[in-house]
Amino acid sequence: MTSRMSLIALAASLCAPLSFAQGFKPARTVDLVVHTGPGGGSDVLARAIAIMVEKEKLLPVRLQVINRPGGNGAVAAAHLAEKRGDPNTLGLFTGVWLQTPLVSAEAKVTLRDLTPIARLVLEPAVIAVKADAPYKTLADFIEAAKKNPGQLKQSGGSNTSRDNVVRQLLQKSTGTRWAYISFPGGGERIAALLGGHVNIMVIEPEEAGEHIRAGNMRVLAQVSEKRLAKFPQVPTLKEAGFDVPVVPQVRGVVAPPGIPKENVEFWQDFFLRLSRTPSWRKYIEDNQFEDGYQNAADLAKFYDEFTDRMREILKDAGVKTVR
Amino acid sequence: MEILAGLLNGFAVALEPANLFWCFVGVLLGTVVGILPGLGPPATIAMLLPLTFNMNPAGAIIMLAGIYYGAKYGGSTTSILMNVPGESASVVTCLDGYQMARKGRAGPALGIAAIASFVAGTVGVLGLMLVAPPIAKFALSFSSPEYFALMSLGLALVVLLAGRSIVKALLAALVGLWIASVGTDLFSSTSRFTFGQMELLSGIDFVVVAIGVFALAEVMVNMEAREETQLLPVPKGLRNLLPTLQDLKDCRFAFVNGSVIGFLVGALPGGGSTIASFLSYGLEKAVSPRREQFGTGVIEGVAAPEGANNSETGGALVPLLTLGIPGSGTTAILLAALVLWGFKPGPLFIPEHPALFWGLVASMYIGNVMLLILNLPLVPLFAQVLRMPVYLLYPLILGVSMVGVYSVSGSLFDLLLLMVFGLLGYLMRKLDYPSAPLILGLALGAGMERALRQSLMMSEGKLSILVSRPISAVMLSLAVLVLLIPMFGKLNAWRLRALEQG
Repeated sequence: MTSRMSLIALAASLCAPLSFAQGFKPARTVDLVVHTGPGGGSDVLARAIAIMVEKEKLLPVRLQVINRPGGNGAVAAAHLAEKRGDPNTLGLFTGVWLQTPLVSAEAKVTLRDLTPIARLVLEPAVIAVKADAPYKTLADFIEAAKKNPGQLKQSGGSNTSRDNVVRQLLQKSTGTRWAYISFPGGGERIAALLGGHVNIMVIEPEEAGEHIRAGNMRVLAQVSEKRLAKFPQVPTLKEAGFDVPVVPQVRGVVAPPGIPKENVEFWQDFFLRLSRTPSWRKYIEDNQFEDGYQNAADLAKFYDEFTDRMREILKDAGVKTVR
Repeated sequence: MEILAGLLNGFAVALEPANLFWCFVGVLLGTVVGILPGLGPPATIAMLLPLTFNMNPAGAIIMLAGIYYGAKYGGSTTSILMNVPGESASVVTCLDGYQMARKGRAGPALGIAAIASFVAGTVGVLGLMLVAPPIAKFALSFSSPEYFALMSLGLALVVLLAGRSIVKALLAALVGLWIASVGTDLFSSTSRFTFGQMELLSGIDFVVVAIGVFALAEVMVNMEAREETQLLPVPKGLRNLLPTLQDLKDCRFAFVNGSVIGFLVGALPGGGSTIASFLSYGLEKAVSPRREQFGTGVIEGVAAPEGANNSETGGALVPLLTLGIPGSGTTAILLAALVLWGFKPGPLFIPEHPALFWGLVASMYIGNVMLLILNLPLVPLFAQVLRMPVYLLYPLILGVSMVGVYSVSGSLFDLLLLMVFGLLGYLMRKLDYPSAPLILGLALGAGMERALRQSLMMSEGKLSILVSRPISAVMLSLAVLVLLIPMFGKLNAWRLRALEQG
């Protein structure tokens, strides 16, 4: 039994280089692994990608979404690490895959242990207050925070989320201090602001749009390098006079470790082609994302820099880092 | 008048043959998904989302909503027949539902679950139609201190779920609270009780624990009884399989209670059907004249939570449709669906898309009727499951439990956890610890801790924030009252004994 298995394995390993020599093409359904359950942010993006791939006929095979929730991204990352050498598995990563190994010793697989493929999306954010709040500009809010240290409140996600990172950077550069209250769900964060229980929040532009249009919310500044198309009147952080680094919410694709160079090239080109399709452009525009395409080599550089910067920011915020 | 006109237009939309068809497809899929433990409405809707792209949005939202509320109907089936909660919202249904089945009343239990679901589901839609804007405003006035008070009230119900010993019930509740604290702390990103296991970083799934301590423990205890186990009695004849007039009378208050609690808790962005079902069960027990019989197979103990988890659906659509704020996993994916179809859910959604909103509301009335017609004939069919000899039934329960757990996360680790909690449940049964308080502690623990810490962060550490806000103060006082009720009983008994002796 075992000897037969090892024979098969041997045969497979002999054949593999041959098939790769002629240029890689996925031969069976490709698994796109996400770290959320159905309906989570990554899941929705992954399913949208699967639909586009079908519509634009970009692959000879189907792309299917595999949910590996749990461990704040660590379970999905470990799943990819176990698939070493598997040419038909990819993972859709977000910033969580970077942050979890930084703060949790249990999460043993970092993005560095996987094979970078491509960066796809940068998600900008805006800083919003309730429409009847006295702050007309971010400077007004900072001024108020200066007068009442620790009294004003911001709603957001966990303390490693981008919301808190933006707060940390602003606090550090202005010498102010306000409270940060974590809520697990995006709905609860918005409800806390609209109910007047907190004063400010960092929110995705698409989420804020309708609340602004209904006159319930006002945007003070945007967390992006340049102004978003749908917020032409709102200054970026830099334009508002706060020279802090812009921390993007990033999404991209990684593959299991130990896959041949041909595969990496195939996939980075595949995602470049995807990012040039009209369906992708429309999706990016509808969701007010930024096209953040980078190839494998640039992505590797990006996440080294990003990890170093995150570690610094988290340390400043008093979060214990383990790596 | 405006509402009447809207509703008439809505029925015009919902009664179009295509939309009627999608409504039926939705509620049928929902029923199936509800009956199968594990695979819940969020996963089903996410998987169907790509198919809805080429559909008319009205038909699509009608179908997806049908899956959402249809699943609540089916969820009680495995709870009642096998003590396997299909979803977190039907955990409470196990308490009296399964006991009814053991007494040969599986039919009436399944029947009342369908009827209560229908009544409360319809009331929930009425609420969504008539009072959505003011309720949404009320929901926004709820913040962390209020959530903490609400959950304290829920946890106080532990004294009502206690068996003979209050101390044992409190200990079980504490274990539940402890299990709830496993995972990464949201506020500090510190790992708690993960023992180096990355699978535990995101905590332990509620359904895994519930299936373990209810279903697995039940199977183990029954298998241990070595003597020839009797088949569970299932009476013959359709009439004996449906609730009697007396049953319906007993459930009068449960229908109202389930409808109102479910709708109100559902409308809170931090609420949810699990809390709603626990609260309505607790309230039902607290006011019942036969309080002491709860947990032994009382029909209103099935009607109240089953009603609450259905009317919760109407409530949960309130913040989603009036504010664009999703309160649960399922409403979050409905929101994603609306965005994918090119709508912008938010405060202006209803005024700008009246046909869609009213079409949905009207379809929910129709869908609830369909569900009742669909589910009542299933009752005799499902009741036959219990005619199976035990050597088939128990393996079937084990299989259903394991498939249910595995289909949620696809992780073998969760199956291991299921075994651990099955063993824990077995030991608790042997040592006469009630398992319901553990489940209650687990259901409320994480949210309660979070709400308390959020409150203290808001007030810079002053506990007074919990009692200085009126809604929170009222609910906390109620919680104290609930905790004191059994003491009054004890005091009274002690006083009577003293009188006799004196």
